[in-house]
Amino acid sequence: MLEVKLHDIGEGMTEGEIIHYLVKPGDRVIADQPLVEVQTDKMVAELPSPGAGTIKEIIISTGTTVAVGTTLLYIEGEGSLEPVSEGKASETPKEEVPVLLKEKNEFVSSFNRVLATPYTRKIARDHHINIEDVTPSDPSGRVTEEDVYRFMKGEQLAEKEAVSTMVEPEFLAKPISPDEIPFRGIRKQIAKKMTKSLFTIPHVTHFDEVNMTNLLKLREELKKEGVHVSVPAFFMKALVFALKDFPVFNAELDEENDRILLKKEYHLGMAVDTKEGLIVPVIHHADKKSIQQIHDEMKCLNEKAKDGKLVAAEIQNSTFTVSNVGPLGSTGATPIINYPETALIAFHKTKKVPIVTENDEIVIGHVMTLSMSFDHRVADGATAVAFTNRFASLIEQPNKLMLEMI
Amino acid sequence: MVVGDISQERDLVIIGGGPGGYSAAIRAAQLGVSVTLIEQEKLGGVCLNRGCIPSKVFTYAAKKQSETGHMKELGLFVGETSFNLNKLLSYKSKVTDQLRSGVETLCKANKVEIIKGKAGLIGEDRIGVENGHQFDIYTFKQAIIATGSSPVLPEGCPKNNKRMLLSQEIFDLQELPEHLIVYGHDYISLEVASSFHALGAQVTILLEDTDDFIFDSSITKELNRLLKKKKIKVYKEAKILSAEETEAGIDVRFRTQGKEEDVSGTHLFAAGNRKPNVEDLGLQRFGIEQNVNGFIKIDRNMRTTVPSIYAIGDVTEGPLLAVKAIKQGKAAVESIAGGNPEVDLAFLPTIVHSIPPIASVGLTEQQAQNLGIDLRVNQFALGSNGYAMITGNKDGFIKVVTDASNDIILGIHMIGEGAVELSSTFVQLLEMAAKEEDAKFPAFAHPSMNEALLESVEGLIGQAIHTVPKGKRQKESSLSFIR
Repeated sequence: MLEVKLHDIGEGMTEGEIIHYLVKPGDRVIADQPLVEVQTDKMVAELPSPGAGTIKEIIISTGTTVAVGTTLLYIEGEGSLEPVSEGKASETPKEEVPVLLKEKNEFVSSFNRVLATPYTRKIARDHHINIEDVTPSDPSGRVTEEDVYRFMKGEQLAEKEAVSTMVEPEFLAKPISPDEIPFRGIRKQIAKKMTKSLFTIPHVTHFDEVNMTNLLKLREELKKEGVHVSVPAFFMKALVFALKDFPVFNAELDEENDRILLKKEYHLGMAVDTKEGLIVPVIHHADKKSIQQIHDEMKCLNEKAKDGKLVAAEIQNSTFTVSNVGPLGSTGATPIINYPETALIAFHKTKKVPIVTENDEIVIGHVMTLSMSFDHRVADGATAVAFTNRFASLIEQPNKLMLEMI
Repeated sequence: MVVGDISQERDLVIIGGGPGGYSAAIRAAQLGVSVTLIEQEKLGGVCLNRGCIPSKVFTYAAKKQSETGHMKELGLFVGETSFNLNKLLSYKSKVTDQLRSGVETLCKANKVEIIKGKAGLIGEDRIGVENGHQFDIYTFKQAIIATGSSPVLPEGCPKNNKRMLLSQEIFDLQELPEHLIVYGHDYISLEVASSFHALGAQVTILLEDTDDFIFDSSITKELNRLLKKKKIKVYKEAKILSAEETEAGIDVRFRTQGKEEDVSGTHLFAAGNRKPNVEDLGLQRFGIEQNVNGFIKIDRNMRTTVPSIYAIGDVTEGPLLAVKAIKQGKAAVESIAGGNPEVDLAFLPTIVHSIPPIASVGLTEQQAQNLGIDLRVNQFALGSNGYAMITGNKDGFIKVVTDASNDIILGIHMIGEGAVELSSTFVQLLEMAAKEEDAKFPAFAHPSMNEALLESVEGLIGQAIHTVPKGKRQKESSLSFIR
């Protein structure tokens, strides 16, 4: 009998939500055949079958969030039972009961408390509701019987409303209950991560302006030559140089060991807005890639993110994050740092504005605003301003970028 | 495997008739499941015959003995008290016999089939039962393994020694030890130490491996004070190096807090560790997963890695307590019968029938602190309780730990007379996710020990009536009753 457990797919993942089983009991499967879709931190991943056999039993139901290590389903091994059992017995002779117990049988109780009375818990259990999904009406987090019933009705109401197309007149007289959107999946992961970041990191955000006139001119010139490179690709390169000068923003605070880890790798995360929510694919080793390579990679990752086709490796290990919200609009924001990084930069809309030149002439220039949030535990405002000044100087005179190239 | 044997068909087969096994059998009968219970020795298991019940006969006798001093204060002179161990042993047998026959009657009345013999799995749906020369094979739809656990002799302790006693032997002892050395750190060690002390033995505790008892630090402090008062010497971080039987007793050499010491007693009791009773079941052959120490792994429906086979109680991972076995036994059967039960051990109370007893439920102050919770903590001394004064049980206190951000009770810990009885209220409050007001609102009998719980909660915000306000006479306030 093969046991399929939820294992760590993305690094540091501790739990996952079972989205969908791709097999049902009785199905024959081969090794590496996808068995189940699991929602992890940032993506939907498939768990492959560890071997060939027949699906015997599915233990964990769809929609449940389980810890890594939880058994999800059983597969009956290929062929008769005997060889499998025998193989197992000979593999694990060490599991024979030792005469002297090496480990103490101490029971460490995990404090996984559900704030609800036993009866309320039973109602939820009997209706296959994970009580942790029920929003408590009591601000202290206690879930009541009514909360569970409301949760059940809420689900049913949403279904009924979807079916009925006409709103009947008397319906208007009745109080209208709010629409419910299930709070799970990526949305819930984002909520969790943002909360952790904001409650852990003392955020400071500072704003600045960057004159984009020269960069846009350069891009136009390149375009004439038939070279298409997006503005954000230049940003990424400039950021790498700025980060090299101010390594504290390409770092992680290891509070437990009282140290700040200055990363030697430049993995830049880029925030992408998708239908499901925010995803941050990563340009790895941005310092070792040309602007053209960065441009191509950004384009590719962006498409993959929108199609939900990112793989685990593509969303891991970022050391600094960039949020390019300019195309959507906005002039400023106070973005939340992508924990455990120490800083994040957001680029806003570029506008045509009158600029006073060194010769006291007024000309039309292109100016972009940016917001940079940083962890005030590891850096101070002056450092952050110096960082964005360095970045701005590289963008305002893109020729300088050339000087930095190896 | 015996080929060609005729097997008999059964629905649910339970291996082991301890508290978990027989509770499961009776619950199965109540739910209309046809059930067969296999037991190789006596119904009731270790708990009824050699563990929980016999030990409580001793702790109860010891408690009564300890009350004789106070009886004189009440004007009740019953002459010189003396203790006859043989009489207590026969009383113990009477109690266990009566309880066992009660269980047998209940099983019979519920039409539980009882088969005597030793069981071993011979397939995922077959079991062999050996009884003398007889060997029968049964097929089953589901089986529940409830075979329990056995004590393991600790390292350094000799096996063939009459003066060396394990938990199942100490309550059969024919003579009262003159000087009992207790080696362990769990509830049973404390119960043995305090009972035999009250019954007249000199007692020395070798606190195995740990630097102190495992309760909330306030309880541990009070416990140490009371042990000292009784002149029970406690050696911490102790490890026995050797134990040799002499003509008069037993010489124990042990390491304690870095240095070696010797102690001579008449008997040595070792709580030891426990191992699951799985040797003859043949678990590995069918892929039933066990942990490193051999305890069976189960899911939330008590199911092992083989879907037709369940396991409950001591033989599974987790705490080794009858209360767990009973709860799991009933839940396993309910699950088999199509129900949707749950066993949640988060608020399993820690109970010690010592003198005075200890009951502890939920988070200790230290655990809650480690979780980073903003706490309210209060301790109400029993010396300030009217009924404790009447009964002469002034030692101890109730300590309440709550979450200051939402008033929810996190843990309740008590050392003092009445702790075991009051513990059900503690558990109830925690299971109901009670807030401070939920504990303060109800009317508590007056005068009674219950009021101590009320006042321990009221005291969280400085409103216990029978506590001197803080800052005025802080030292002589409720704390003075503890000292």
